[in-house]
Amino acid sequence: MPDHARSLLVGAVAYHPRVVTVWEGFKEYFREGGLDLDYLLFSNYERLVEALLDGIVDLAWNTNTAYVSAEARLGGRALILGMRDVDAGYASLLVTRTDDPLSDLRELAGATLALGSRDSGHAAILPLHFLAAEGVPLERVQLLRFDTDLGKHGDTGDSERKVVRAVAEGRARAGAIGDATWAQFRAERLPETDHLQVAWRSPTYSHCCFTARPDLDPALARRWLELLLRMDYNDPRLRPVMDLEGVKRWLPGDKAGYAALQEAMRQQGYLRG
Amino acid sequence: MIPRRCDAGDLELGGGLEVLLDAVLEPIAPGDEVEVSVASRAVALELPGWARRRGHQVIGEGSEGTGPARRWLVRLRRGAISRVLAPPLPPAGPPPPLRRGQLRVANWREGLGPAPTVADPTAGFAPLGAVPEAGAPAYDWALNRRDQVWADDLGSLIAGAAAAQWDATRDIPWQEAGPLPDLLERAVCQVVTFLAQNEYAAYYVPARFMPIVNPQFPEVLMWLASHAYDEARHIEVFTKRALVNGGRAYAFAAAERSLHSLLQEPDFSASALLLNVLGEGSFIDLLEFVAAHAPDAATATAARLAVRDELRHVRFGVSHVARLLARDPTARDRLVAAVEARAARLVELTGLAPEVTEALTIMAAGSAQPAQIAEGAAAVRDLMRRMAERRVARLREAGFDEGTARRISDLHTPNLM
Repeated sequence: MPDHARSLLVGAVAYHPRVVTVWEGFKEYFREGGLDLDYLLFSNYERLVEALLDGIVDLAWNTNTAYVSAEARLGGRALILGMRDVDAGYASLLVTRTDDPLSDLRELAGATLALGSRDSGHAAILPLHFLAAEGVPLERVQLLRFDTDLGKHGDTGDSERKVVRAVAEGRARAGAIGDATWAQFRAERLPETDHLQVAWRSPTYSHCCFTARPDLDPALARRWLELLLRMDYNDPRLRPVMDLEGVKRWLPGDKAGYAALQEAMRQQGYLRG
Repeated sequence: MIPRRCDAGDLELGGGLEVLLDAVLEPIAPGDEVEVSVASRAVALELPGWARRRGHQVIGEGSEGTGPARRWLVRLRRGAISRVLAPPLPPAGPPPPLRRGQLRVANWREGLGPAPTVADPTAGFAPLGAVPEAGAPAYDWALNRRDQVWADDLGSLIAGAAAAQWDATRDIPWQEAGPLPDLLERAVCQVVTFLAQNEYAAYYVPARFMPIVNPQFPEVLMWLASHAYDEARHIEVFTKRALVNGGRAYAFAAAERSLHSLLQEPDFSASALLLNVLGEGSFIDLLEFVAAHAPDAATATAARLAVRDELRHVRFGVSHVARLLARDPTARDRLVAAVEARAARLVELTGLAPEVTEALTIMAAGSAQPAQIAEGAAAVRDLMRRMAERRVARLREAGFDEGTARRISDLHTPNLM
């Protein structure tokens, strides 16, 4: 019988079947490191956040949007216990067709802007927030939203694919997309990206992070973080699962990169209070 | 630090820029920097996302020049990740020599060193000269020692096999396969059916070893594949000869018992002795007999072409066994024990199936005239004598002393294969 007092239950969202492979691999790694880890999968981040707050899971592998919700409900006392290298310094991009570039963001007034899922921090919430800060009159911008896979906060990349297609087909003047997603689409030679270019890059922010309640056993938290940060991409047994998770190196993470999203979610009505 | 410069021309992400950047970043040390010059701000803006995904970092952005000549500069710091989980490739070695413009298998290891004495039993399919990446699944090969499978003339045997391929449809004068008097046709049918039946075993023996030889011995794989394919063609050509005039013949149980016992032998070298040296050796004599006495050109041609292949197979067997006996003092007893064990399993076989002896006799006689039948019988006796003599000679060539060679030859299956 596992000692549940000394074990750690991580919650994650199954945005793709490969999430099982990832967590089976991580579970084996942590158990070999002496930490009795198990995982519980959810179909959406809202329920994952509830499970974290209700004490059903000890740690939640959260999107930035999910983290900000949890943090708000924990009164700013949530713990961050790691993020991927790719999650630090994240940015959103606006892409346009090369034959119809934007010389000034304010040209978006009267034009159509394609956005990813409305619960995606990088493909909807933050692009609107930063564009407003740049002086784009959003009330005069026609929004073309692709609200696919709601609850998964843009994890699947499906809504961004639709954003790119809409811009390529001329249904939108510009489209918002995460910079890592864009790099992935380009590397995959996605045909729709062929005659598109990057028109604007947002300020950087943090994306996913492991979130814990403040009452998590500090020894357990420390052991988790130690093992997480020690995960080595040059270990041939770990590389396949780290590739599936899209991480080369884990970072401790911090709260600094979430300020803009907190403000954006409050302004856009995603946070109570 | 003065970073390296990299002029990316008009490249953009997805259009080849990532290929250039990987090529520039891969060989430099982690922490070293490269300043990439790109044609537009749009391209500069896509690089941070790319860099993070690759484990690198953008640490500075700027531009130089003005107007149409303006270039955007992105400074990248290489991350600590090696894309391939393997040591860096060693410098290219000396190339193998060409012989009269040809690159031969016999020469392809020059510059790489000889085949390993013991190959890693978990190794995958890394071709000669390739550096295997860590993290591949582990195999569990059964034949990993060079001595278990090797022959020193494998290179020339493989070259010979490739050069001597023939076609059982096109290269046989099938229109000259008859008609023959019924007695002769039935005799030919029975002889070629016996040949085809035996060639099945000659196919299955090398085929059984193909998937268990360590892939670090590609010469052996190529050899076994050529051997098995030769036998497949022999099955084809002798089956065709039996069918070409609509004939039917028996596949005798006695032959089956002998061949079945051949397939019971699990050891590669013992199989090489039993099949290549003894069985196929005897078949060279038998096929030469058929080529000399066949009443029709199709049968004679098929037998002659099959002899060419069997000579190679025997050569491999002799060469492999000779090498093994010279290097491993325990091999002789093991091989003799394998021959004895097979003979013990075949104790109920007292001779070649009489129907086969009769068919060979009639084929050599060419008719049912008593005088000619006597000549045919004498020819078959000569064949049996020649087989025994040459079997001993081959065993001597393979490194057995005279006494052992005679004993092994005497224990050989009366079924010939």
